[in-house]
Amino acid sequence: MAAGIRLVGLTKRYGDVGALDALSLDVAPGELVSLLGPSGCGKTTTLRLVAGFLTPEAGEIWVGERRVSSPDAVVPPERRRMAMIFQSYALWPHLTVAQNVAYGLRFKAELSRADRARKVADMLKAVQLAGLEARYPGELSGGQQQRVAVARALVVEPEILLLDEPLSNLDANLREEMRFEIRRLHEAFGITTLYVTHDQAEAMVISDRVAVLEQGRLAQVGAPEDLFRRPQSRFVAEFIGKTNIVEATAITADTVARGAWRLRVGDKDLTPGSPVLISVRPHEIRIVAGHPGAHGDNAFAATVRRASYLGTAVDYQVTVEGVDVPLRVTAPVAPRFAAGDAVTLAVDPAACVALRR
Amino acid sequence: MRRLDASVPVWGLATLTLVLLMGLPLVWLVTLSVSGEHGVSLQHYVAAVRDLPLRRALWNTLVMAFWTGVVSVAIGAPLAWLTARTDLPGRRLLRALVMASFVTPPFLGAVAWVMLAGPNAGALNKLWRAVTGADTPAVNIFTMTGLVFVVALYTFPYVYVMIGNTLELIASDVEDAAAMLGAGRFTVARTVTLPLVAPAILSGYIVSVLQALALFGSPAILALPAGFHTLTTQVWGMFHYPPRVEMAAAVAMPLLVTTALLLTLQRRLLGRRGYVAVGGKGGARRRIPLGAWRYPAVVFCLLVVASAVFLPYGILAKAAFSRAWAQPLTWDNLTLRHWTFTFFEYSATQSAIVNTLELGVLTASVGAALAALLAYIARRRAVVGHQLVGFLALSPIAIPGVVLAVALFIAYTRPPLILYGTLWILFVAYVTKEMPVGYAQSDATFRAIPAELEEAGRILGAGRLRVLGEITAPLARSGVIAAWCFIFIGVIRELSASIILFTPDTKVMSVVIFDLKEEGQFGAIAVLGLFMIAMTLVVVVAMERVFGRDFMGGRE
Repeated sequence: MAAGIRLVGLTKRYGDVGALDALSLDVAPGELVSLLGPSGCGKTTTLRLVAGFLTPEAGEIWVGERRVSSPDAVVPPERRRMAMIFQSYALWPHLTVAQNVAYGLRFKAELSRADRARKVADMLKAVQLAGLEARYPGELSGGQQQRVAVARALVVEPEILLLDEPLSNLDANLREEMRFEIRRLHEAFGITTLYVTHDQAEAMVISDRVAVLEQGRLAQVGAPEDLFRRPQSRFVAEFIGKTNIVEATAITADTVARGAWRLRVGDKDLTPGSPVLISVRPHEIRIVAGHPGAHGDNAFAATVRRASYLGTAVDYQVTVEGVDVPLRVTAPVAPRFAAGDAVTLAVDPAACVALRR
Repeated sequence: MRRLDASVPVWGLATLTLVLLMGLPLVWLVTLSVSGEHGVSLQHYVAAVRDLPLRRALWNTLVMAFWTGVVSVAIGAPLAWLTARTDLPGRRLLRALVMASFVTPPFLGAVAWVMLAGPNAGALNKLWRAVTGADTPAVNIFTMTGLVFVVALYTFPYVYVMIGNTLELIASDVEDAAAMLGAGRFTVARTVTLPLVAPAILSGYIVSVLQALALFGSPAILALPAGFHTLTTQVWGMFHYPPRVEMAAAVAMPLLVTTALLLTLQRRLLGRRGYVAVGGKGGARRRIPLGAWRYPAVVFCLLVVASAVFLPYGILAKAAFSRAWAQPLTWDNLTLRHWTFTFFEYSATQSAIVNTLELGVLTASVGAALAALLAYIARRRAVVGHQLVGFLALSPIAIPGVVLAVALFIAYTRPPLILYGTLWILFVAYVTKEMPVGYAQSDATFRAIPAELEEAGRILGAGRLRVLGEITAPLARSGVIAAWCFIFIGVIRELSASIILFTPDTKVMSVVIFDLKEEGQFGAIAVLGLFMIAMTLVVVVAMERVFGRDFMGGRE
């Protein structure tokens, strides 16, 4: 039975620089959670704390019923029953593929020599490396090295699997392929997994849930679709996909205003008179010809400022009549509009999200 | 309480050893230099300043060091440029010969030059008199000029290496940019290349000066017969009966401080070096065609390698096999007498060879292991205060051998550890003196081994020491072997500390060579000197073998 991970108020500083500030996060048994954020947000620090390479200044880490880290006591990495896949793969250049993969099994006294050999062979087959047992890592391609790293981590059947940007050293095509491969392996083995990445598309494809980190704090955690459709902060809205951010003022519980512009939003609990940030995804805005009247109450007269053809879509920059902020709209290639055209924009109130911060 | 793992005592012990090794002698040195009958006193410093011979020796030292630096740069810089950037014929051979001069113990070179350019019997002077019929010698090596010349011959390789390394990093495109703007070949060298390597030149100058300041053998062999002293020979003299140890400590202090200051200056220079232009991958490097300049360039190079390698080794070889080294090499003059004399009749040789080998192997093994552990501790931040580990391990660079010997003499002729009179005091001296070399080599080794390789082992279930043994050690193996070889080579040629710390039972080869010089036994010196060089060569060749098989190169 897989164990979950619980991070409670985890804090880590490097000198005076706070790398992680009271981070709390639960990972359910068998769940794959990504830690997503720009470089320096604390995601790798979190992973290394979980692995036991670092000691937290405050907070605790629990694995199932075991407390593995606290400021006073840190269970060393070798006693955590975890496995980790490193960004550089960290394959040992002086050991063959088979020796690399077999290394972790040495510490499982209950296994016989034959058991170990069989497990290594099975695992190499599972990652399609059969036949390369005697090679040295230096003699493998990047993708093969990556699979050796995966095999070495999975063969020990860890309680917890940690991955530190394992795909960032691969070229674009291979990277996309390996995303599905990692998801497939996760579904096959069901190991509780923490996955660190700065690539939001990667996080969306791979994860059950994504935890977005911002400057050492947890900005938001949720299923990929939740994060995309209902971001809670400007940071999350902008980090996950493109968006339009409009600074406005609430005038009723579900309507905001900027100048003469009135926009209905999906939220029903705004405080009239308070400033509010609204996020609208470019592809949620429809762009049509003619007057706003025919397109419901969330439709506005606008002018096209610029149109950029992208192949599968057109990227428009438009300004709403009487409003100073330009909006980005991603629309199908037909019907086409040109710069200077008078158009109507329509948007479903549910696609307009009020941000907390 | 943080849980302690088994590795903590190992880190602690290594760090403690380092602190004691470096700290104890220096503390004693300072203490004794300011000791008086009634507590703290500056009397020894005052006495040193009042002492006229000492003031003269200080002046001689400064003159010698200054000019050694100048001559070393004048030889090393052009040679480095010629090998690194031009189409000079025989560049590989030239590089090999410069390295040969690098591994030559300076005192051996000095002895050889006594045989070559002594005013009366010197081979070059005899040739001069025979050719010209003159009565007076052409050159006299027993002068300040002679001393500077001989010292520089074995110091310029430092400049050569430093400048050569920098030149390797300058891409041709910076030079091409100047050429495109209309600068000629030599204008480019003068206005672009030279300023870029200026920090390396200055830094090489300082290193040469430091070498000259610390040198004992060459001044003892060349300056003493000429009737003048340097600081190192003065300090050595203070250990003759009656010993004036406190005075030696007081004289050693300015030498120590000067060295430390120069070293700091050099670090600053290198730290501020304009690496913007020099660093990075850079474009390709193209060789500059010398054209007709080839001939003077070749002559210059030939003169240098003849002075540093061919002539000295020629005369040593001749002396080793002839009855009278000053006489022409005829059948009658050929003999193996010196070989039998040196190895079987001269009482000190056999035990000195055994002592040297014992000390060499022991120092290299302990030193390389300790240096590797310390470098590992500092790189992986395994102890509190790991920043200090590197500083301490490298600090003996600032301690001239003679100063170190004075400090160790003081520290280990009294309780708790009385080592004087045993091989152990030499062992301690060598480990201390060679620590910077071993540490720098080990540090470079561990820098090339990412910490992730160890962490990957930890997370899969291996403890810290186990990872060190099964993953780090195999990867660091060739680097540690290199450190072993560097230390071994350094130990078998060490003279300036040995000459103060030896006792009749604990002579080493370099000390025996020095004794033989006092007795005028040039044949035996030649035999022992060539034997010493042969030992060095064996180690160098073995080292190349090891690196030839290195599999680390296969990674990315």
